[in-house]
Amino acid sequence: MSEHHEKKDRSRPPQSQGWIAEYVDEHGLLEAARKVREAGYTKTDAFTPYPVHGIDHALGIRPTVLPFIVLVGGFTGLGTALLMQYWMNAVDYPYLISGKPLGSWPAFIPVTFELTVLFSAITTFLGSILLNRLPKYSNPVFTSPRFDRATDDRFFLYVDSSDRYFNKNSVQNLLSSTNPESLEEVMEDASSTVIPRAVWLSVLLLLVIASIPMAIILKMRNSNSPSPRWHVFFDMDFQPKKKPQQISTLFADGRAMRSPVLGTVARGQWEGNDAFYLGYDPAKLAAHAGRDRSRFVGASLAAAMQDPVGAPALGQPPTPDEEKSPESAIPAGSNVPAKSETSDEMDESSNAAEKPSDEPSPGDEATDGKVMVEETQTANDAASPSSGEPANPSQDGAALASAVPTLPFVTNIPMEIDAQVMELGKKKFEIYCSVCHGVGGDGDGLVARRAEEIAQSYWLPPTSLHADAVRSQPVGQVFYTISNGKGKMAGYGAVLTPKERWAVVLYVKALQRSRNASESDVPLEMQSKLSQSK
Amino acid sequence: MASIATSFEIDNTIEIPGRRAPLVTGNQTLGSVTEMVSSVAERPQPKIWYIAFAISFSMMVMFFSLIAYLIYMGVGIWGNMSPVFWAWPIVNFVFWVGIAHAGTLISAVLFLFRQNWRTSINRAAEAMTIFAVVCAGIFPGIHVGRAWLAFWLTPYPSLNLWMWPQFRSPLLWDVFAVSTYASVSLMFWYMGMIPDLATYRDRSKTKLRRLIYGILCLGWTGSTRHWMRYEKAYTILAALATPLVLSVHTVVSFDFAVSQLPGWHTTIFPPYFVAGAIFSGFAMVITLLVPVRKIYGLEHLITMRHLENMNKIILVTGSLVGLAYATEFFMAWYSFNGFESYTFINRAFGPYWWAYWIMVSCNVICPQLFWFKKLRTSPVLMVIISIFVNIGMWFERFVITVTSLSRDFLPSSWGYFRPTIFDMLMLAGSFGLFMTLFLLFCRFLPTIAMAEVKGVMSAHAHAEAHLAGDHGQHHH
Repeated sequence: MSEHHEKKDRSRPPQSQGWIAEYVDEHGLLEAARKVREAGYTKTDAFTPYPVHGIDHALGIRPTVLPFIVLVGGFTGLGTALLMQYWMNAVDYPYLISGKPLGSWPAFIPVTFELTVLFSAITTFLGSILLNRLPKYSNPVFTSPRFDRATDDRFFLYVDSSDRYFNKNSVQNLLSSTNPESLEEVMEDASSTVIPRAVWLSVLLLLVIASIPMAIILKMRNSNSPSPRWHVFFDMDFQPKKKPQQISTLFADGRAMRSPVLGTVARGQWEGNDAFYLGYDPAKLAAHAGRDRSRFVGASLAAAMQDPVGAPALGQPPTPDEEKSPESAIPAGSNVPAKSETSDEMDESSNAAEKPSDEPSPGDEATDGKVMVEETQTANDAASPSSGEPANPSQDGAALASAVPTLPFVTNIPMEIDAQVMELGKKKFEIYCSVCHGVGGDGDGLVARRAEEIAQSYWLPPTSLHADAVRSQPVGQVFYTISNGKGKMAGYGAVLTPKERWAVVLYVKALQRSRNASESDVPLEMQSKLSQSK
Repeated sequence: MASIATSFEIDNTIEIPGRRAPLVTGNQTLGSVTEMVSSVAERPQPKIWYIAFAISFSMMVMFFSLIAYLIYMGVGIWGNMSPVFWAWPIVNFVFWVGIAHAGTLISAVLFLFRQNWRTSINRAAEAMTIFAVVCAGIFPGIHVGRAWLAFWLTPYPSLNLWMWPQFRSPLLWDVFAVSTYASVSLMFWYMGMIPDLATYRDRSKTKLRRLIYGILCLGWTGSTRHWMRYEKAYTILAALATPLVLSVHTVVSFDFAVSQLPGWHTTIFPPYFVAGAIFSGFAMVITLLVPVRKIYGLEHLITMRHLENMNKIILVTGSLVGLAYATEFFMAWYSFNGFESYTFINRAFGPYWWAYWIMVSCNVICPQLFWFKKLRTSPVLMVIISIFVNIGMWFERFVITVTSLSRDFLPSSWGYFRPTIFDMLMLAGSFGLFMTLFLLFCRFLPTIAMAEVKGVMSAHAHAEAHLAGDHGQHHH
């Protein structure tokens, strides 16, 4: 209706916009509307307190396109929800939970449904308001005080002056013939359209004030400051507790960090000071006290923090053995010369598996059934970067890495072994180790394969147990690695008992040997079969 | 004819064959409807409004003070303790969300079913929906512990977290369901109010009132073109809100049902929760509207027939809820699952037996009184019963949440939940917030959908004319 009118000119008197007739009931309105339409007028409208049944037909108003707009809105919501969930949970930040697929469509249904409804509803709401060109606060019909009753109990019919057939007199005559309660000419809204200065100034002021906190936050987030962070909520940043290097007034020595009370062992940390629990010989370690003792203690402590169970007891820090060359680190009791050729080592050890060679008496096996697995020990293989040199003391990890290979690892499994131990080792290996290292020890466990498949950038592939560097390790070192972990591998000292750990060591050694066996390793009765099959 | 009309005037709950009961009584005209509804907000409020407002407002202030104290001290001020971490805050959340459902059900579902009697009560019920959702939204928001980080629930590109929410979690579905529900209910409510706000604008005596209502009603004129799009939009919103209202409490029930806990892990929860929600929502509508119609003299618009219809729905949904309780027990026995059957025996006869039997007597036995017409048409009695129903429905959520959590699979982790004074004051405070908002609504906004009542009066007049064989001159 009045949208079609040219811009108002303040200098001229208000222009006529059309004629409006008032009726007391809907029947009067309906009949008048039909008459007006039959007369050919199309720029007409009715104003009623409630939607009058049939008035659209009487005025010839076409149905609205709103449902189609809503359909588009609904599909937008549907697509947005599905794409959003898939992208967020499967692409940008994949959630791996219980091996469920990344795109779990059934689980995405509820949010998809809700967003479809939400988008449709917003489209309906805004669409209907915008299609009605609302909000519109200046309307010529509002100039008549009578029109207030359009939202109460009166019905109005309006003919706009922009209609093709509009003629002031004929419209007036036509409308009077419909017995209206009143008939008025609608005049242009002559009131000023300028927003008063006080209003827009105060709105502007409010906006500026409202944006100050946001501006402060933005500035603080995007700039550096030497002063500490300003805490609105303390979260758990400030707690009444002491951190390791802080000063305590409670104790005479002023240290917040306390060492264990003399002569006590923390629960679960008791382990005999024995190669069976440690993987190396503590007595030898003590004998090799060197000048880098302090550094080594630091490294041991770091190891103890990492895995307190497998680490040496805190009360008895092991003495360092840093400067020893690989050869000199060989336990004194070993009668096997150090060798650098791994294949030879394997031959040696394979022989050793058959007969005890560590102990000079060959009757041991027969007498007490004790089988000692012997390993040729090269404490540092060629690949180890820190073999003889002191490690960088600034890095605990590096210090530990250099400290570990110099420990006097045992070369024999310090317990009785038999087929049952081997079975135990196999069982535990397959439970705990094979997930990463693979059933065959090749470093191709399911976890490793999965990580490779989804190309995790931070994934460090597990070591193959058949690598030379691993094969050359003495049993004590393998035991030490199982207990305390290495690199990204966690220690299993907490889940495997020492006996189980040694059993796993035995199984690992067996696995390694199985890849490097010669024909002579095959038992005699099987050798004939082997030659037959050739 | 006249005698029949008169009898409808006296009692519009009677059934007269071949006649439709009038939706409003007292020989109303369009103007008298406007007058009656507008006077609620235009006339000075009765003394009881001020008394009620003073009480509710103080309770609301207490509620927000307690929330501030909670944020300062931490959730430890509540009785939540291992193993019952989902205690009253979640009970209150489900309770309030349930209350919210009646509003949408009345305005959307009954609209689609062409139940014209809804027009007198839908506005107040929708307002109640919004206010109940406000109360509901607060509880999980403060239950998360660090309430100031509750916005982490929304999927926004965070520069601190570098991660997205987990969309397979029912708790996240809940965030979407409840916030969608709040938004759609708000739009539906506001949309429905636009024509009535225009009425308020046009009746304004002061400039300020005219300005505020004028801005709120967006310059509504009642143009036929506007009405057409408006009606279409209203129908679409109703069609959208109908599945939405069913989905919301379904998703709320998923919070429980998707877990593995005996007593929670059951497929009956979605329909059972929805029935309970409608049940409690209608009870709350009765609790509020019976005093409102009395205080503001709206008996001719909110007639006895309206109240009776709502009581019938309470009877139906109450029986459905009872059936659900029975089915749960049947499944516990029939499934032969030891944990499940233990849980249910423990519910009824364990340490929380009192809560269980409060729930059963309030929810199952109480509404059965509505089988008698005398009882369901007595305003005093229906308010009392509806209050009992609300108590019962609160206890239903308590029974589900607390009894299941306090005794799970491991007897070593069993416990007994004890609320603290803060639990109780915050529940009371949420009622203060709800009532404050409702009283302000009565004071400033159209409590009854005038335009819709007028439209229905016109439609009723048409239908009556047709039924009477009087195809009058206005037939077209």
